[in-house]
Amino acid sequence: MNIENYISSGIIEQYVMGLCTDEEKNELEHLRLKDAVLNKAIINFEIELENKMMRNAFLPGVNTDDKILNALQSLGTPVVEMQIEDKKVKRFSWIKIAAAAAVLLFGVSAFFNYIQYQKNKEQAAQLAAKNNLPAPLPMENYNILKDPSITPVAMMGQGYHAICRCTMFWDKKTGKAYVMIHHLVPSGENNEYQLWANVNGKQVSVGIINDNIRDRFVEVTGMPEDAKEFTVTLEKNGGATVPDADVWLKGTA
Amino acid sequence: MLIIINICLLNYFLSAAITYTEDTLIAALRNHDNEAYKHLYVHYRGALYSIITQFISDTEIANDVLQDVFIAVWKNIDKYDESKGRLFTWLHTLTRNTTINTTRSKNFKSQQKNDAIEDFVYTLDQKESQQQNINAIGLRKQVHLLREDYKNVLELSYYNGFTQEEIAQALNIPIGTVKTRLRNALIELRKQFV
Repeated sequence: MNIENYISSGIIEQYVMGLCTDEEKNELEHLRLKDAVLNKAIINFEIELENKMMRNAFLPGVNTDDKILNALQSLGTPVVEMQIEDKKVKRFSWIKIAAAAAVLLFGVSAFFNYIQYQKNKEQAAQLAAKNNLPAPLPMENYNILKDPSITPVAMMGQGYHAICRCTMFWDKKTGKAYVMIHHLVPSGENNEYQLWANVNGKQVSVGIINDNIRDRFVEVTGMPEDAKEFTVTLEKNGGATVPDADVWLKGTA
Repeated sequence: MLIIINICLLNYFLSAAITYTEDTLIAALRNHDNEAYKHLYVHYRGALYSIITQFISDTEIANDVLQDVFIAVWKNIDKYDESKGRLFTWLHTLTRNTTINTTRSKNFKSQQKNDAIEDFVYTLDQKESQQQNINAIGLRKQVHLLREDYKNVLELSYYNGFTQEEIAQALNIPIGTVKTRLRNALIELRKQFV
C-alpha cells in the first residue's frame, strides 16, 4: 500500500469525523501502529478539527452552566452509608451541627465570592482598557435600567446568525445605550462587532461591542436621538465606515 | 473552625492554581475529580455546544443534550482510549452521537429518512430559511458551500448518521461512489478550515 496515497485519500478525515465503516476503522487503526507518518497525519487533522471547533465555539446561557456543573458535582459526591447501632450512645444534635456548618460555609463562601467578584471586576476593566473597549458596567449600575424612560430594543439574530441575541437599553435623555449580550459567536482576533443606527436611511456607527462579555452590559454613547432601527455587523478590528452586508443582529425601537 | 477555614483557603488557592495537560486532565477525569470535570466543562462547552446547535435549533433541547454529553463523559471516561485519538476527537464523536440519538428520539430522523433526496434537500433549505438557527461560520454552513453531490452525502452521513449503505440506497448510487464522494467532500471541507 502506498501510504502517501492512503493519507491523501480522505480516509483520515473520515476516521476523525467518525464516518468510517468498522472495516475502514480497523484497517486504519492497525496501520497507524506501524506507520509514524500516518499516525502523525491523523493527529494533525485531529488538532485542525479541534482548532476549528474551538474557533466556532459559542457558549450556552449561564443558567445552563450552573445546571450542568451542579449535575456533574452531584455525580462526584460519594454516597455515605448510615450505620445503625443497637448500643445506646450519646447522640449529637446533627441538625444543630449541620446548621452551624451551613452558616460557617455560607460565610466563608460569601467572603471568597466577594474576593472573586472584585478580582473579576478589576480584570474585566483592565481587559477593556487594554483593548480600548468600553468597560462592562458593574452589577450595582443595573438599577438604572429600571428607569421607565429607557427603551428596550430586542436585537435578534438574522439569517444564519439566528441563535445570536442581544438586548439594547436606550436612554434617549442621555444618548447612552447599554447593550446586554446574551449570545454572540466569538468574533476572533481580527474582527469585532460594530453597532449601527439607521438615521433617515443612513447607517451611523455607534460603537464596538465586545463579545467576550457575556450577560453583562456594554455602554455605548452618542446614540442618535432619531434612530429607529439598529443593526450589528462583524467588521475588521478598528471598525468600518460602512456596515458589512451580512447583518448579524437587527432591532427596531 | 480555624481548621475548616484553613482547608477552605487551601482549596481556594489550589483550585486557582490547577492547570492541566491533556494527560493529567484525562487521569483526573478517570478519578472522577470534580475540579477536572469543571475544567473540562469550562474549556470545551462552547465547542461542543456549537456542534449540538448545528443539529438542533431548539435551545432548551440543545442545553439538555449538552448536559447529557458531559454526564456521558463522566460515565464512560474509562472507555476512552487515548491510543485511538485525542480527547477532543472522542468528545466530538460522543457529542455527535448523543445529538443524533436525540434527534432520532424526537422522530426527526425517521421523518427525514423517508424523504426522497430531493425532498430532503428541499426540506433542509426550508428549515434553514424558516428556523435560521444554524451557526453561521460553523461546519454546516461550510458543508452547504460544497458542490451539491458532496453536500448531500455529508448531510446524510455526518448530520443524519446514515451508514454508507443507507446513503447508497437513499441516493440510488453504488456504494463505491458514496465512499469516493464522502472522502472527496471531506477533503474539500478541510480546505475551508484554514
